[in-house]
Amino acid sequence: MDTPHVLIIEDDQWFSSLMKKTLEREKFGVTTASNTIEGMDEINARVPDVIILDFFMPGPNALVLLHELQSYSDTANTPVVLCTNSAADIPKDALSAYGITSVLDKTTMHPDDIVAAVRRVL
Amino acid sequence: MEGSKQQTNRLEGAVPTAPSFVTAAHELKAPLALVRQLALHLESREIEQRELHEIAHRITLTSERALRLTTDITKSARLEDSLFSLEPLNPIVLCQEVVDEMKPLYAAHGRTIVMTSRTRSLLALANRDLLRRILLNFADNALHYSGEGPVRVTASLRDGGAYIRIGVRDYGPALPSTMRKNVGERSTAVHSRPESSGLGIYIARQFADAMHATIGATSHRDGATFYVDIGTSSQLRLL
Repeated sequence: MDTPHVLIIEDDQWFSSLMKKTLEREKFGVTTASNTIEGMDEINARVPDVIILDFFMPGPNALVLLHELQSYSDTANTPVVLCTNSAADIPKDALSAYGITSVLDKTTMHPDDIVAAVRRVL
Repeated sequence: MEGSKQQTNRLEGAVPTAPSFVTAAHELKAPLALVRQLALHLESREIEQRELHEIAHRITLTSERALRLTTDITKSARLEDSLFSLEPLNPIVLCQEVVDEMKPLYAAHGRTIVMTSRTRSLLALANRDLLRRILLNFADNALHYSGEGPVRVTASLRDGGAYIRIGVRDYGPALPSTMRKNVGERSTAVHSRPESSGLGIYIARQFADAMHATIGATSHRDGATFYVDIGTSSQLRLL
């Protein structure tokens, strides 16, 4: 099997960098985007195996990307791990409508939790 | 389609809409969560000396950023009990100090902030601490939203020398027109950008009010300028 490819869409450059290093250490291929628009460009270039998605970012928020993903057959089933400071404020049942089953709370997660979350949804 | 709208509305209901204790807590979550992650990385594995220094530096800068916000919040809460003296000051010198103070944070993010005003002989009437905090706030906001290109701080005389406008120009997402209008209005919820709680701009506006200045924003095709308009010193007008 090819190395699973993870796309991190996260506006905090340093948070993104930490997640990237952790995933690369576990032999995942990783690309990053700092907002939803950049993320869409990356997905257009190559559909990732998993997307790690922040909720609030400059420009359109995560919902816009989730709508887009569901609009195309080649991305509709791409697993998404939501990774946000606002995890406690977002209704889980609303997220499940977008196929999101994994939500990480940035305020309580351990760095290695991102690896476990990606493996869980693959 | 209707189902999608309902999903969107349900989620957007979770977003804070006005400055409050909840908003302040929300704003502080991001830097605190980042500091925690950086510290956990230091704890969890052996890392090279170079990376150790980099992470420690990021912890320092992120903590300072959070502390700036907490200081602004507490100062903002006590504004009505305080008197703020206005003094003649050179805004160019103050802007340069703000640029110098923010440079390490910008550099650590691979970005730059520069002072680009040509005029040297400006004299404003303002409270030095409040004006400095407004500019730090704008510069911090610009760092978060800037893409390519340096953030530019400018100061210029306006309206025939009646006031001085100090602007911080970024190259991030443009401002929606309604939000641009709301930046300087007291009675409406203030948002700098759609994903922002608007707390920073709310505080900047309070500081501006306390020294009889006004703040506003101009949208550009490729970003925005947040500005503060301050009165000129009569010492300048007599020259």
